[in-house]
Amino acid sequence: MTNDLEKKTTPALPRFRPNTDVLEREDGFHIFVDMPGVGKDGLSIDLRENELEVRGRAVYPREENAKALHVEFGDGEYVRTFTISDGVDREGIRATLKKGLLELFLPKAARLKPRRIEIQAG
Amino acid sequence: MVIDFSSYYDLPRNMDSFFEELWKPSSLSQRRVAYPPVNISESEGEIIVTSEIPGMDTGDIELTLNEKSLIIRGAKKNEVGNYYRQERPTGSFQRIVNLNVPVQADGIKATMKDGLLRVVLPKARESRPLTISIDAQ
Repeated sequence: MTNDLEKKTTPALPRFRPNTDVLEREDGFHIFVDMPGVGKDGLSIDLRENELEVRGRAVYPREENAKALHVEFGDGEYVRTFTISDGVDREGIRATLKKGLLELFLPKAARLKPRRIEIQAG
Repeated sequence: MVIDFSSYYDLPRNMDSFFEELWKPSSLSQRRVAYPPVNISESEGEIIVTSEIPGMDTGDIELTLNEKSLIIRGAKKNEVGNYYRQERPTGSFQRIVNLNVPVQADGIKATMKDGLLRVVLPKARESRPLTISIDAQ
């Protein structure tokens, strides 16, 4: 117990469930995750079987010689897990992080893509 | 005799989580009361306003300085597609930050990085010596 307390001197970042939009377009699924303050170095995306886990650490530099007057947000870790169906082409998953917004693109597996069937004149 | 309390009575972990709660800054409970969340800090010469506005282009955010307040305004657009889940706020937003000190309007700097807006407002030099000319009549 005492050891545990000593470890806590560097407290873990508070965890947040980031706001997320999930939407479908013709080419596949697009997931938008709000991750303000997270840079490329602080982001990790792991795919384990059907679980896609997104983690982002937002650590803001301290304002030097300044005192906080009003605080509504702070350092934190964004964690969110998505379950992926078989209809997703895993090899084709792409992620872009821009302006604190993470966009995940999950293309549909080729067999599920809408396709036109040619009619052969017989 | 071994008594295993663990499933009933997880005291060490309860204590730890209790302490963790204590460590958390209570101010964070204000999180997500208004959009976008704003932090304000003050140094000797500056007022620093930061705000989390992810996914916005700098051109879509409007910053206005009034006599006594800084206004952050903008609109978030909907994405195109068929929504399965929508949690990210959309539509127009506005936050008004009251400034209790006069600021130097021409020295304000605003930057945006990783969805964090940072506005530095230098305080007006109150100690600036004023010379008052006397008109002879």
